[in-house]
Formats: sequence, structure tokens, C-alpha cells
Amino acid sequence: MSAATDKIAFNVNGRDVAVAAAPQTRLADVLREELGLTGTKIGCNAGDCGACTIRLDGAQVCACLMPVAQAAGRRVETVEGLARDGRLSPLQQAFHAHGAAQCGICTPGMLMAAEDLLARDAAPDEAAVLDALGGVLCRCTGYRKIVDAVLSVAAGAQPAPVDVDGGVGARLAKVDALPKLTGAEAYGADAWPADALVLRAVRSPHAAARFTVGDLAPLHARFPGLVRVFSAADVPGPNAFGIYPVGKDQPVLADGEVRYRGEAVLALVGDGATIAAIRDEDVPVSWAPLDPILGAAAGVAPGARRLHARLEDNVLVRGRVARGDPDAAESAAAAVATGRFETSFVEHAYIEPEAGWARRVGDRVEIFVTTQTPYMDRDEVAHVMGLKPDQVRIIPSAVGGGFGGKLDLSVQPLIAIAAWHLKRPVRCVYTRPESMASSTKRHPATIAARFSADRDGHLLSAVFEGDFNTGAYASWGPTVANRVPVHATGPYAVPHVRATTRAIHTNEPPSGAFRGFGVPQAAVAHETLMDELAAGLGIDPLEFRHRNALRVGSVTATGQRLEASAGLQACLDALRPRWRDLRAAAEAFNKTGAGALRRGVGVACMWYGIGNTSMSNPSEMEIGVARDGRFTLFSGALDIGQGSNTIMTQIAAEALGVPASRIRLVTGDTDLTRDAGKTSASRQTFVSGNAARLAAEDLRAQLARLGNTDLAALPEISPGFVAIGRGRFDPPTTALDAEGQGVPYATYGFAAQLAAIEVDTGLGTIKVLRIVAAHDVGRAVNPQQVEGQIHGGIAQGLGLALMEEYVPGRTENLHDYLIPTIGDIPPIETLLIEDAEPLGPFGAKGIGEPALIPTAPAILNALHHATGVRVRRVPATPDRVHAALREAGVAP
Amino acid sequence: MAAANGAGRILAGGTDLLVQMRAGVVAPGAIVDVKRIAEMTTIVEELGGFRIGAAVSAAVIGEHERLAQAWPGVVEAVNLIGSKQVQGRASAGGNLCNASPAADSGPALVAAGAMLTIQGPKGRRDLPVEKLHAGPGRTTLEPGELIVSIVLPPRPARSGDAYLRLIPRTEMDIAVVGCGVSLAFEGDVCTSARVGLGAVAPTVLLVGDAASALIGSRLEPDAIARAAAACRAACRPIDDKRGTIAYRTKIAGVLLARATAIAAQRARSH
Ligand code: FES
Ligand code: FES
Repeated sequence: MSAATDKIAFNVNGRDVAVAAAPQTRLADVLREELGLTGTKIGCNAGDCGACTIRLDGAQVCACLMPVAQAAGRRVETVEGLARDGRLSPLQQAFHAHGAAQCGICTPGMLMAAEDLLARDAAPDEAAVLDALGGVLCRCTGYRKIVDAVLSVAAGAQPAPVDVDGGVGARLAKVDALPKLTGAEAYGADAWPADALVLRAVRSPHAAARFTVGDLAPLHARFPGLVRVFSAADVPGPNAFGIYPVGKDQPVLADGEVRYRGEAVLALVGDGATIAAIRDEDVPVSWAPLDPILGAAAGVAPGARRLHARLEDNVLVRGRVARGDPDAAESAAAAVATGRFETSFVEHAYIEPEAGWARRVGDRVEIFVTTQTPYMDRDEVAHVMGLKPDQVRIIPSAVGGGFGGKLDLSVQPLIAIAAWHLKRPVRCVYTRPESMASSTKRHPATIAARFSADRDGHLLSAVFEGDFNTGAYASWGPTVANRVPVHATGPYAVPHVRATTRAIHTNEPPSGAFRGFGVPQAAVAHETLMDELAAGLGIDPLEFRHRNALRVGSVTATGQRLEASAGLQACLDALRPRWRDLRAAAEAFNKTGAGALRRGVGVACMWYGIGNTSMSNPSEMEIGVARDGRFTLFSGALDIGQGSNTIMTQIAAEALGVPASRIRLVTGDTDLTRDAGKTSASRQTFVSGNAARLAAEDLRAQLARLGNTDLAALPEISPGFVAIGRGRFDPPTTALDAEGQGVPYATYGFAAQLAAIEVDTGLGTIKVLRIVAAHDVGRAVNPQQVEGQIHGGIAQGLGLALMEEYVPGRTENLHDYLIPTIGDIPPIETLLIEDAEPLGPFGAKGIGEPALIPTAPAILNALHHATGVRVRRVPATPDRVHAALREAGVAP
Repeated sequence: MAAANGAGRILAGGTDLLVQMRAGVVAPGAIVDVKRIAEMTTIVEELGGFRIGAAVSAAVIGEHERLAQAWPGVVEAVNLIGSKQVQGRASAGGNLCNASPAADSGPALVAAGAMLTIQGPKGRRDLPVEKLHAGPGRTTLEPGELIVSIVLPPRPARSGDAYLRLIPRTEMDIAVVGCGVSLAFEGDVCTSARVGLGAVAPTVLLVGDAASALIGSRLEPDAIARAAAACRAACRPIDDKRGTIAYRTKIAGVLLARATAIAAQRARSH
């Protein structure tokens, strides 16, 4: 029964096929690689994510775990089979209308699982939907809009109308949704030339080691399909990349020393079968392990080995914001709250692993890749290759989730270097364990904080010391130094502040950018302490926050006076009725003596500076009009699922005064668009949105000058266009001085969230029952997308609070590293506050990161309300909660 | 299979084997697809009990009404193996053969007193399910042997079973602790009891002392407390990020008490 070469015949989407494949080949691989049905996604190849869900004789199965032989003679349905004659199925339409697809990488799996359910049960209730979709992970949506979409079909309702024309304020359906719904979208792993070679990196199994590479001739002799093995010596330019000019410290391929487990050492390139057959043990690398430095405290311990020669004490950067005299203020305070908080490494866990392919075109290299930052990729690849930036072209694929993790280089330099040397296209797709081991993480933080207030409940002082484990390389570590101290007070007016931070190198994964850049960690500290101060003063926690909330006219810790759009009090006002009801209901529940169960409701707030901290971060956009009157927006702003393609279209449509459907988009390609910066720091709506508005206004002015001239009669000023509008926006900020004083951001988002939870005191488990989220977004350009961002952020915040903890070597997959599933996410109520930002496009600010920040502390505060117990280390896993309950005598 | 020198692997659903092959954990010399062997793929009622083919999928077990009536705890446990898309192909036999101490089917089948029918080159033999595991990832099967079916005994009146597990998220997870309890009563008095514990030792445990504490009692708080203490005493768990030793040990007792209450409730209405 081994490798029979007989063809295996089955039916796919109504078509009979026969494939020559070894019987144990994964069906997912056969569908994708042999049959070109790349709508079936691979997120883990281990049965953990459900991205590969298809139907087999009607029932949902994971195609990655199904040997193709078991499909013989059976009926396989994939996402490509759902739409008939170009018409979306009712379920696809419902996903479209509800905004149930964000990045779309989970969408095929979700659709197939839901099709299976609806075929078996025409009128499922919510519980049945949660059960049927429970095996498919989504990292973007927070699942709620998916549930709504499936239920709407189940209810047999006419599919909700899909808005394709709306301007600012409309629930315009995602302009790029269709290919995500039909499976046609090309993500990083979905397109490659037939003659592409395959690259796989050999990675360090050690956290710290020196190594030598032995004679490769025997390896080549044993594997004739191995074309070339690349090492550090093959990197044409400086073998060091990094976001910040000061932090170009990460080698493309390690040179004699590795500093974290998962670091790339060699790159094997050859035909796919050969590369798959070579195991790491076959490659002659000899390792001399070193004692690894684990944990930030070990990094700064006296005598600790230096990770990088240039840094004496392993401290990458220090940050400081200081104002007034916090020590004197505290001595006169009526109440002081103090705490030490700890957070863990958190993995982005986008469902799409890093992937792409590259080819050399003359003296240029073109890279098709999943990324959040095409222009930075271009410059960084050019740097390590010793090329000029315009010799590198980045063509972004569709991105299956980023959350900050695709702001750093991954496959880009590897495939570029290989394609350059070999003059052949080279493709690389990370496995899930490889993605998790090698990519950046959220910084683990250890925070000691102290806040004080006067008798009337006004905050007097804040002292905040944060150590952030920045891992082996600089990556986005410097943001810890500048962003965290600015936000350390929370969204409150505090006259006396001293906030200091350190980013400390260790032999752990590089900590990089992850939705919130250190602010979610800081929020755990300040929001816990707000509750404790309020309790100490006998003031309701929500009212205490209201009293201290930053508002127009407030001065922040950096001395910035807020001139407009500071809607935190409005958020709290909006929450107040729900707060009172939910608190009372929880307390009533606890009085009934429900055995081991206790309920509680917590509140938490946040603020978040939009855009880069005290740094120029401009965006440029162009919009052209053709003779037929159709518009094309050239947008370098990358849509990673969060919806910027739609938002930019809406803003441009509004500014031009035309329906959104008249605007076509060209995005991301560095040869075709202008630099719109990174998709990070919640900046695209505010910064790039402004550029889109200005470009559209420019074009509109040009057209107005033309009066009634027939466009068709005009000469083209560039191929295809008779007029082009341009816009550029760079948010006005100033540098921070040595005491951290200045204007770090042009505007801030504000939010407050409530979490209602149920604690099983016998087990230490927490079930979140409801979240109510009030967000000041300035102006909701597209309320549906804003809700989607809020839902997704809350899901990630819930994961941060309760289950997510990355441990190198132990949790490098999606069954040991837990992210929330569909059943973990409670109903979410969103309340949008629109305190318009005069600088923003039509008043808008950002929402991407603000959504995540208050959730974890709201849950922790709810735990305290439910049980009287404080957990100061996240994730608050059942064993930690249980230990805290026992210590407090709440659990037996 | 025998010709492959013990390096052959049985492919039922393929749910774990394909993962292990990819991860380089196993490189099987031969793969036998048992989904095509009839005896292994059917559920038959036999001598008042059930004989479940080792390759019967979790989904099929979940839909067998009489089985669910007689052994609700076993069916619940089997239905927790993997996600929905895996349920159609994951089997109790495969789940057992992985010999993970955290496999959900283990504690429930141990509590149920299940017997395994094993076919090997030298013929057939029967093995109590609790004797199958030798350690994490290791079974007591000889080279060339495979589990053909799982036999569940007949159910007397006033009997019931239950399985509970603790996981940190709602679904798709491996038990931090799992506990199966099977009880039978005469009047209010517990006349027989079996308790299986998962994820608290290198193998799934049959906790005889917990059963002894329950047998002869009316499940008074004191008897439950003694049974819970016996469960805690039996634990030899590991410390890992899913749970500390102290936590897993404590939870074994909590789950025992809760599973016992559910099993007793079912026995009363059986
Ligand atoms: S790819 Fe199949 S479950 Fe993740
Ligand atoms: S939309 Fe679900 S993973 Fe991105």
C-alpha cells in the first residue's frame, strides 16, 4: 500500500479529476499545487486552524489532514465551487453584506464549515453555528460578524443589500471583498511561476550558540535536486537589517552565532520535493550552545554576556517622560495605589504564514510577498543586497493578517538573494512552527507603577518603570522607549509624572510591533491602579475615571495641550447606563449563591497616539481620471484586512463628490504607487486618508478649472490619464526633549470598555459574557469596518488577558499556543463616539490599535469585582486565577 | 504490516499521523489504511453491550443514539477529540493509540471498563483499556498488532457515566485535566464505580481508591471528599504552561466531584 503511482480519481466542484500522487499526500496540497485550487488555505498543516476546511461528500473536513487516497471516488467541494455563474452563494453574499471577511484568509474555511452546517440544518441557532464553526480560527474579525452572517442566511432573510457607492459615513461593503469570498484572492503562498525553485531556511534549535557549517558536498551528492545552499557569505550587502538606522543588527543569515531559537542560518534552494525531503539533521551544522539569557532581568543582571558588542549592558534604548515632582505630590496624597505587573510574549498568529516569491529582472529584483510595509521592505532589501532602492520592486500579495508582525522582513531578503544569485524565480512559504519561531512578538513587560490621588479623587502623580524584553534584535524595540512613557499615565490628566522604560536584549525572539506597541501592557498597570485608587477613596470606578479623563484643554504628561477631539468622557457617559445595569445584575447573581460561579463587571480606558511618535511619517497619494471619466486611486497604503482600501476609496469618493463605485484602486506596488508609509500605528485612516482626501481635492480643483470640457477630448498627461491629483500629509508633531516634553502625536484615539465575566472559582476559569465598547474615532468613515476593527481588537485583547503566552520551543504551533476560538468571544456592543478631529479626513482618527488596549484590563477588573481577587500577571490562565483565589481564600 | 518490521503505521483518520510525519516525528515504513476494513468501521450491539470498530469516526459515534443513551460520558469524551472538521475522521482507536495521557477518550473508556480487541500476527487477544498505555506516546502493543475494536460492557439499570475536562479555551484544545466517572446504584447506594483520570500522569489512570471511596456510599459529601482526595493522591502531573502540578492535582479532585454528580444524576434517570 505504499507509494502506488496509480492515479487517484475524485470529483471536485462537479468536475472529475484524476491525480498522480502518493496516496498519503495531503489533499490540501493536491488541491492547491496540482489542481490550482488555492482558495483552500493552509494555516498550520496540523488540524489546528481550519483554514483548509473543505467538504467531503458534504461534510466539513480538514484537507490538510486528509490523505488524498481517502478522497478517492468521493465528492470534494472547495470555496471555488460556491459561486455559480459568477453569482455569489447566499452565504457568500451574507459574508459580504455583514463585513464578515477582513483579511479573508479564514473565509474559505468559514464558508465551507457554514455550508456544511446549513446543508444539515436549515435553521440553526447561534449555539449550532458556534459548534459548526468552532474548528476554524479567525484572527481578524472577533467572529461576531461571521456568526451574524451565517444566522442571517439561516433565518432565510433576503440577503442584506450591499452598499457599493457610499461616501464617508456609509457602511460601504469592502471594495476588495469579492476575491476573498470566492477564493480567487492571491495571498503570499497562492501565486508562483511554474519554474520557481523552493527555498527553506535551516534554523537554529538553540537560543544561543556558535556554529560552523561543514562540507556541503555530501549533502549535494545525496540530494541532486538541491541547487544551492546559501549562507551569510552570500549576502551581497551589509548582512544586517532593522527598522531603525540605529538598530540594523539582524543578519539575514546568521554569521557564526545565533541569538535566538528560530534564527535563520542557511537557506536551502532546490526543487520542491528535494527541499521537503531534506531534514535539518542532514545539514552539516555543528553547534556549540551558549548559556542563553532568558528574561529581561537576566539581560541586565550584572556581568550578563553582551548580545551585541555595541551595547554594554544589553539595554537597547531607554525612554523617559518627566513632569512636575511626583514624589512631593505623592506625599500629600489621600490615596496611593502601587503594583507590579507582568505580561508575556504574545504571537501575532495571523492565519497566513509568511510567504512569497522573487525573481531577478536584469539588474532589478521583484518580490511578490505578504507585507504591511512595501516601501520599507524595498529599502531594507536594497540595503542588504547592496542595491539602490529603485532596483527593488515590492508587489504586495493579499495579506492574510499582519497586526504588526508583517512590518519586519521575513522571506523577502532570503528569496531576493537566492533569485539574484540563481537568476531563477525562488519561492518560500513558512511552515506554522517556522513562522512562530522566527517572527517577532509582543514585548513581555515587567512594570512597577504607583499612582496617587487627592481626597476629591483627582489624580496627583504617576510613577511608572517598565522593563521590556526586546529579544535578540532591535526590530521595533525603540518604540517601547518613546511610545510607552508617553502613554504611561493612561488617558488621564496627571500633573506630576515620571515614566521610564528600558528595552532589554535577551536570547529570545525579537520583540517587534504588535497592535499597540507596548501600550496594552501599560494599560494593564494603569487601569488596575485606577480601580484600586477609586476603591481606596470610595468612588465608583467609572466615575473616578470620568473625573480624571483627559479632555479638550487638558495637558498631557508630555506637556501637550489637547486642542480638540478628546472624547473619553463621552465614551464613559455612553457606557454609564450599561455599567450600572450590568454591575447590578452581576451582584444580584452572586447573591443567589450560584455554587462555584461568580460574576463581575470591570471597566477600563485607553488613549492612543495616532501615527509615529515624534517622527515624520508622511503619506502620499495620487488619483487619476481617464477619458471615460473613471478614477483610479494609487494607494501605497496596504490593506492587511483592516479595510484601508475601502476607507481610502470612501474618502476619495467623498472629496471628489462621486460614487465610490467609480473609483478603481491600485495598491501597494512600489513601482506604481507612492509611499504611504506603513500600515501600523493606526495611522492609515488619519494620515493616508488625509493624503487621499488632498489628492482628490486637488483633482477636483483641476476638473473645476476645466469647467465643462469633455474629458474624452483632453490629451493624456500620463498613460491612461487626462488629469492627476496629488496629496501629501504628514501629521504635525515635534521632537520630545530629554524630559520627554513635546507634541508626540497630532491626535489621539480614546476608548472605554466594559467586560462582564463569569468566574468558575472551583476551576479558576473565566468566561467573558459580554463586552461593551465605546470608542471615540473622530468620525466613523465606515461604521461597519470600525465595528469590525473593534471586534477583532477585543478578541486579541481577550487572548492577551486569558490565554496567550508564547514560549520558544514549547508553543510553536496553534494547539499549544492558544488564540480565542469562536466560542470564546461574547456578544459585543459597540458605541461609536464621533468627536471630530479637525486635522483628520472628515474628522476621522484611527481605530486599529485602540480596539485591543482596554479589553485585558477590563477583564482583570471584572475578575476583581467578581471575586475580590487581583491577578497582576497576564495571561490570567486558569491555574494563575485559581492560585490567586486560593490565596485569598475564595477557592477551597 | 508485519513485513514492515514494526515501522508500519496504522492510518485511520490520518489526523495525527500526517502531522507527525510532517514534523519528522515518524517516518513510517508502510502505512495501512484501515478505513477500508469492515470490522473496524462498524458499531454493533453485542451481549448487551457495544463493540465499536477502532476506526469508527468520532462523528459516527456521536450520532449513535443507543450508544449515547447507554454511555453518554464515553460519547461526550469521543466528541471532544479534535475540531468539527476532524471529527468526521478522527477515531477513538486512533486517539487511544497515540497514547497521549491527555487524550479525551482515555479517562472515559477507562471509567467505562472498556476492553480492547487486539489483532496481531499471533492472533487475537483482549486487553483492558487501562493497560494499553506504557507512557506518553508509547503503547503496550507488540509490533504488528493493532486495535480492532473497543468493547463496552452492558449497562444495568440505575447506572450512568460522565466525562469532564478542563481546557483554557472553549474548544479545540487538549485537556489540562480530564476525569471520567462511571457509577451504578442499588437504591441510593453506589454499588460499583470506576474513575479514570487523564493528563495528570504519564498514562491515563484508573483510580481504584477513588472508586472504593464511592462504593457503598450514598455519595455523601464525605465520600466525595475521600474520592477527590484519592484522585489528588493518584496524580503525578507535570508542571507546564497549561497548569502547575498543584493546580492539576487540585483540579483532578474538583472534576471528580462534578463528574460524579453528573454520573449520579444520569444513573437516577437511567
Ligand atoms: S491548515 Fe488544515 S487545519 Fe490548519
Ligand atoms: S478575516 Fe479571519 S483571519 Fe483574517
